[in-house]
Amino acid sequence: MLKYLFAKEEDIPQGTAAVFFAVSSIAWFIIGTGLGSFNAAKLAFPDFFHGSYALQFGHMRQVHVHAVIFGWIAMAFAASMMYITPALGNTKLWSEKLGVWNCLLYNVGLCLALALLWSGVTSGREYSDHIWPIDLYIAFVMVLPWALNVWMTILNRRTQGIYTTNWFFGACMFMTVIVFLIGNLPEWFHLTGLNEAYMTWWFAHNILGLLITPVAAAITYYIVPKITGNPLYSHRVGHLHFWSIVVFYSTPAAHHLMSSPLPEWLKSFASVEGVLILVPAIAYVCNILLTMQGKWAMFVENIEIKFTITGVLLAIPLNMQGGFQQTRAINWYIHGTGWIVAHAHLALLGFSTFAEAAAVYYGLQVLLRRKLYSSSLANFHFWMLLIGFSLYWVSMTIAGLIQGAAKIYEVPYMDVVIGEHPYMVVRWLGGTMVFFGNIVWLYNMVMTARAGTPVPAGRQPAEVAYTR
Amino acid sequence: MAWTLRRPLHTLTTEDENQRAKDLWEGESLGGIAENNNPLPRPVIGLLLLTYFTAMAITFPLYGQRPTAAIYADYVALLNSEPVQEVINDTSLPYNERNDKAMAMIEDALAHFDSKYTFQREQHPISMDQLKIIAPQIVELQTAGVDLEEYIVVGPEVIKSNFFNIQPDGTVIAKQPWWDKGYTVACWWFIVFCLSVIIAVKRLPPFTWRPDHSIAH
Repeated sequence: MLKYLFAKEEDIPQGTAAVFFAVSSIAWFIIGTGLGSFNAAKLAFPDFFHGSYALQFGHMRQVHVHAVIFGWIAMAFAASMMYITPALGNTKLWSEKLGVWNCLLYNVGLCLALALLWSGVTSGREYSDHIWPIDLYIAFVMVLPWALNVWMTILNRRTQGIYTTNWFFGACMFMTVIVFLIGNLPEWFHLTGLNEAYMTWWFAHNILGLLITPVAAAITYYIVPKITGNPLYSHRVGHLHFWSIVVFYSTPAAHHLMSSPLPEWLKSFASVEGVLILVPAIAYVCNILLTMQGKWAMFVENIEIKFTITGVLLAIPLNMQGGFQQTRAINWYIHGTGWIVAHAHLALLGFSTFAEAAAVYYGLQVLLRRKLYSSSLANFHFWMLLIGFSLYWVSMTIAGLIQGAAKIYEVPYMDVVIGEHPYMVVRWLGGTMVFFGNIVWLYNMVMTARAGTPVPAGRQPAEVAYTR
Repeated sequence: MAWTLRRPLHTLTTEDENQRAKDLWEGESLGGIAENNNPLPRPVIGLLLLTYFTAMAITFPLYGQRPTAAIYADYVALLNSEPVQEVINDTSLPYNERNDKAMAMIEDALAHFDSKYTFQREQHPISMDQLKIIAPQIVELQTAGVDLEEYIVVGPEVIKSNFFNIQPDGTVIAKQPWWDKGYTVACWWFIVFCLSVIIAVKRLPPFTWRPDHSIAH
C-alpha cells in the first residue's frame, strides 16, 4: 500500500483501492466476529474473564458492533463500490490514489475510534456511540472521500444510462452523509431528552435502511446478472425498489420508540411505513429471483451465487420480521429482548454479509485475475457462516421470546437468566463458527493472491472455476 | 423531454422519446450487464396491495400499550364497596388469600354486566396490589371530574395520556382515538408514492416491448 500512496495516479493499477478495502474488510470481519465470540462467551459463561475493566461486556459490545459495521460491512461496501461502479460505467475509478489514501486513513480512524470506545470514551448513544471529533473524522475523512470517488466515477462514466446498482451506490452514499451529520445532532449541539432519543434512533434506523441493506441489495443486482449472464429481470421493478426504499425506509424511525412519549400520530405513521418496508423487499426479492430463471444450478455450483442468493433468501424473513415486529401489538412483546438482537444479526450477519462476501470473493478474483485457491475452503466458509449464523439467529429468537414472556408476566430476572443459559451457549457456538470460518476465508484469499491459477484474459472466474 | 397524455397507462412519452430509449437500451452494455423490460408479475401486484391493506389493518385500531384509567373505574368502585373491604380487612385469612378472594369477588361482579371495556380488561389484567396503589389516584381524578379515558396507567401511576388530538377550537383531547392524523399522512404518502412511481415507469418504453440483447452483447 505504501508505494501507492505517493505514486502518480496513472502508475496505480486499476482496482488497487478495491483490493486494499477488500482485504481490510476480511481482516476486520475476523476481528469483529472474534470480539463477538468473546462477548457471547461472557454472556454464556458469566465467570469467563471477569474482573478486567477493559474487557467488560459494556465496553466490548460497542467495539464489536463498530468493528463489524465500520470495519467489515462498510469496508466491504467500499471495496465493492470501487470496482463495480467503474465497471458499470465502462470507465476507471475516478481516483485510485484517493481510494488508497481513503483506505489507509479509514483503517487508522477505525483503530482510533475503537480504541476510544474500548477505553470507555463514548457518546453513550447506541449505534452513534462515537464522540464528536471521531464523528467529524468519520464523516469527512472516511466517508466523504469514498462518496466523492463513487459520485465522480458515475459522473465520468462512458455510458449514457446508469445501471440500477449505481443508482443505489450514488444515492446511498449521499443519504449516508446526510444521515450521519443530522443523526449526530445530539452530539454536535448537546440535545437531550426526547430529541436525543428520536435523533439517535433516526440515525440507527437510517444507517441500516439507507446504507447497509440497500447497498447489499445493489451488490446483488450486479453479481447475479454478471455471473449468470441473464439480464436483470426488470428495470422498472428496479425503479419500484429504489423509490420505495427512499420513500418508505426513511420515515419509520419512530417505530423504534413505540413506548416513548413521542406523539402517537408520529408512531402511527411510522408503524404503517414500517410495514410498507415490505414493498421494496417484495420488489427486490422478486426481481433477483426472477433474474435467476434457467440458472438455478449455479445456486449449487457457484460460490458467489450461493452466497448472493442465500443473502437474498434471508432478506425475506428479515423484512417480514422488520415489517411486523414494530407494530404496537407485537413491539410491546419483543421490545428490549434478544429477538431484536437476532433480527439485527439477520440484517447484518445474514442478508448483508452474504451479499458482501459474494462481492469480495468475486471482486478479488476479478481484480487479481486469479481463480480461487480452493473452492472447498470457500464452501467450508459458506457452511460455517450459514450454520453459525442460523444457530445464532434461532437461539436468540427463542431467547427473545422467553424474555418477552418473562417481561409481560413479571418473571424474576434471575429465573430468566437461568432459563436462557442454553440459548446463550448456542449463540456463542454459532458466533464462534462464523469467526473460525472467516479465518479460513482470509487464508483462502491470501493463498488466492499468492498461488491462485491465473484467469485467462476475457474469461470470468466463474467460467473456469471447475477447470484445472 | 416530451410528454404525451393520450394513453397514460401505456406510455407518458412520445414515440421519438421511446425510440431513443429503446436504442440506448439495446445498444449500450452497462459493464456487460443487460436489463429486461418486464412488468411486475400480477401475483406480486396482488401481494403489494395485500401488503398495503395489511399495513393499515395490523396497525389499526390503535392498540394502546398502556391501559386507560377508565377501564379500572369499576374495579375501584367495587374495591371500595363494603363486602370487598370486609374481605380485605379480614385478618383471619393470610394476606394473599384475602387479595385473591377480594379480586375474585370483583371479577365475578363485573362479569354480570356488559361493559365497553370488557376486551381491554382482558388485555390488561390487574393484580390486587396494583389496584390498591392506583385506586386513590382514580378516586381523586373522579372527584376532580375529569374524563378517565384521557388518563393511562403506567406502573404505579395514573397520568395524563400523550394523545394530542387538537380540536378546531384549540382544545386538546387526550383520549385514545379510533383514527389519528398519522394514518391520514400515511394514506397521502402512499398515494403520492404510487403516482410518482407510475409516472417514473410510464416514462420508460411500454412493457410490451422486449429489448434485443444480442445487439450490444
